Amino acid sequence: MNEYMFSDITIGLEASFDVTIDSSKMSMFLEICNDTNPLHMCGEYARSKGFSEKVVHGLLTSSFYSTLVGVHLPGKYCVLHGIDIKFIQPVYIQDKLVVSGKVKYINEAYRQIEIRALIVNQHGKKVSTATIRVGVKDE
Amino acid sequence: MSRDEIFEGVQDIFRDIFDEDNLVLEDTTNSDSIEEWDSLNHINLVSAIEKEFKIKFALGELMGLKNVGDMINLMIEKSNE
Repeated sequence: MNEYMFSDITIGLEASFDVTIDSSKMSMFLEICNDTNPLHMCGEYARSKGFSEKVVHGLLTSSFYSTLVGVHLPGKYCVLHGIDIKFIQPVYIQDKLVVSGKVKYINEAYRQIEIRALIVNQHGKKVSTATIRVGVKDE
Repeated sequence: MSRDEIFEGVQDIFRDIFDEDNLVLEDTTNSDSIEEWDSLNHINLVSAIEKEFKIKFALGELMGLKNVGDMINLMIEKSNE
């Protein structure tokens, strides 16, 4: 886990990590939120709606934005203030994703930083983007 | 930029953050006037104002502010620096 202090953070500071979405992650997420929409449960239904296979929950994929800030950037001293997410492409089971973020703005007075983040799949396509606001509580 | 233009810009930021298209600010508007104006939204307001108006506040400058009018006056002061 990274431990960036507020004073370490500069505009442009970046972090990234890889993750593969396997069926066990999807099962665990389903157990937590119980979103049983057929788009996530039934391949045949998903295909009838124009998708290649059943679609991974957008908020499961987006949960890695939490990991990005809580573990990588800034890491230990992060307090999540807010997040705006745009979903761009569907994610399927076994997709290999790269989650990355870069510091775009620093509020010195209140020690808040804004991170522009994105998730890209194994085909190089953006599956989502996010603007994440976090406080850095290193005091 | 005139005081009215700054005021309009700040009002747009408030409307966006509090998700209330008809929100009307007065100089006397303060955190007691808007139910959702909590500490986190206060930080979000300051961040949005800094980015929109390309100014930076120091914590000490912000601590003395009592209402929107004080904020606008501080912004005018800083834009003249």
